[in-house]
Amino acid sequence: VSATSATTEPTSSATRSRTRPSGLTIGIIVFCLLGVVDAGYLVYVHYAKLTILCVGGHHGQSSCATVQSSPYAQLDGVPVALLGLIGYVVILLSLALRGELGRAIGFGVALIGFGFSMYLTYRELFTIHAICEWCVGSATIMTVLVVLTGIRFLRAAQ
Amino acid sequence: MASRTKQKEEARARRLAEEQAAQLKARRNRRLQMLAGVLLGAAAVVAVAIAISSKNTPASTSSHVNTTQKRHIVNQVSTLLSGIPQNGTTLGNASAPVTMTYYGDLECPYCSDFTRLGGLSQFISNEVRTGKAKVIYKSFCTATCNGPGQQVFNTQQVAAYAAGEQKRFWDYAELFYREQGAEGSGYVNENYLKGLAQQTPGLDIAKWQTDRGNPALLAQVQSDGTAGTAAGVQGTPTLVMKGPKGAVAVPSDASSPGITDYSALQQAVNQVS
Repeated sequence: VSATSATTEPTSSATRSRTRPSGLTIGIIVFCLLGVVDAGYLVYVHYAKLTILCVGGHHGQSSCATVQSSPYAQLDGVPVALLGLIGYVVILLSLALRGELGRAIGFGVALIGFGFSMYLTYRELFTIHAICEWCVGSATIMTVLVVLTGIRFLRAAQ
Repeated sequence: MASRTKQKEEARARRLAEEQAAQLKARRNRRLQMLAGVLLGAAAVVAVAIAISSKNTPASTSSHVNTTQKRHIVNQVSTLLSGIPQNGTTLGNASAPVTMTYYGDLECPYCSDFTRLGGLSQFISNEVRTGKAKVIYKSFCTATCNGPGQQVFNTQQVAAYAAGEQKRFWDYAELFYREQGAEGSGYVNENYLKGLAQQTPGLDIAKWQTDRGNPALLAQVQSDGTAGTAAGVQGTPTLVMKGPKGAVAVPSDASSPGITDYSALQQAVNQVS
């Protein structure tokens, strides 16, 4: 009897893990959606040519607009917010991929997003001398995502 | 017999355990390789992205702009201005309904910020190129007068105005702002001014040198300063937008005066249009 239960228990646990997302996966989904909202708003404002909502404003200008109109807001003509949006969507989609490849893609994209966010934050602080709350928000989300996707990737490796 | 069977089972169990251990090791190695691959791949992508982004990095804090950077700056300026009419210090169609008067000092770092980080480029691309607005540059001594002095100010501004005699003032000024040296370091000398002239596409250097001695250009620099003082200009860049509905001063960020962004310029255009 005990032998039977020993063989059936992992099977049922595996079935559960396939059907019910883990807390880690839910965390990644939540932060990806937050990232999509953040980056999506910046992309929308960029293409709709709207005034960006920002806390830090002076004399009709905002620190967000200053950052967004700087050369660092684009990468070879492509808005970095759009690249961020694509990154969040790819991390989200990577959850649907089974196995190591999906985990590696999610972690890899989060690492790229994290690295580039750190560079952009450096530029905000030391080159542009203005802080965009939306960008800091995105950098924070990417930092959390790199940790979560990293745990997911490394757990699988054990 | 029983002992032989037991030995066989033990050997089988050993073999299985060895196989499992080998599989585990292989799997661990494969995952370590994958981890290394992910880390290296991500680092490579970030490095490329930073390299592309850093091409926009202004060289303004250093007068040591290398040849590659200069080539890149010349391309940026040419792309920005190509095809837009110039006349003296005016950029854009003379009949454009909106005029932005830009009081500037070529050594002013805030003006450099306005060129490199602010909304000037976008304004030129969207409003000036399309004929909605024109920009008139006027000289107003700020940073240069706080440092090297009025004499150097006159020399450098006249050098740019002399390029304007060949409809290339904006090319020269934009190159100046993008290659600015450290404030007060005395980087503006004959070599620097001539170097900018040599980088200005299509500029006849001999004519430019001759025009630099034209007293009318010096008089223009001086009258610009007088006009600025009369208009209440206190710093640079000062931007005044004028159109059919009147004139407004474009507000600048108190903490970063040079970084007047594009939306502030657009707002000012809407107010006067």
